[in-house]
Amino acid sequence: MEHNKMTFDELWELEEHLGLQKRMQKDYPSWLRRRRTHRMAMVSVAVLAVAGGAIFNTQFSIPKRYDNVLCNRATFPERHWADVAANILVTPTL
Amino acid sequence: MKRILIILPLMTFLACSHERAEELPFYSQYASRTDLTVAQVTGFHLNDSVKVDVVILVADDTTAWQGLKDEFDIRTSEGVTSWIGDLEYPQQRTRRGSKPVWRAMAVHDERTLAFYRIENQTQYQALLDYQLNKISNK
Repeated sequence: MEHNKMTFDELWELEEHLGLQKRMQKDYPSWLRRRRTHRMAMVSVAVLAVAGGAIFNTQFSIPKRYDNVLCNRATFPERHWADVAANILVTPTL
Repeated sequence: MKRILIILPLMTFLACSHERAEELPFYSQYASRTDLTVAQVTGFHLNDSVKVDVVILVADDTTAWQGLKDEFDIRTSEGVTSWIGDLEYPQQRTRRGSKPVWRAMAVHDERTLAFYRIENQTQYQALLDYQLNKISNK
């Protein structure tokens, strides 16, 4: 046996090394699990943020009174042109 | 990681999948004019169920406005001028029948012309109701 030739210190070092290896092997799955859980939590937060934003946007923003707006100049926001279309209809005639 | 790879393209697709409005020929005809601001509002909501398409022309200055007035045969110079225009030739006054028409309104103070595309009786009635309701609520 090779061990017979080893000094006590060498044996102690080897045991310590083997013990560490064993402990690492034992802990590895839990580390992997923690990493996976953390990753899933991050993905869930991202998905919830996007979904929450979309719901908030549709539920609580001012309702859109038009489908689309095209303009030959980037002067005003889309909503401005819907307001113009609405306001002209109610401009009192002389 | 695989899930992220699936979710990311999906979200990108959803973000980019906004319906692009189709240009009305009338809008295209004026969009290249340098003396006008031209806008097209597609699906302007008159009420919960009725929508119309609107083309708006805004003249940059009095010269451009005078040009528009001549082009659309507008002879008044104040208040609001309105007429029913032919779909192909909006300057041509017509009667509302079964075919689609433009309901045109010119606001002199704002040098603005707005054309509401009316395709049927429902839209026409909804437009009148909108005007009536909003004016009476003012």
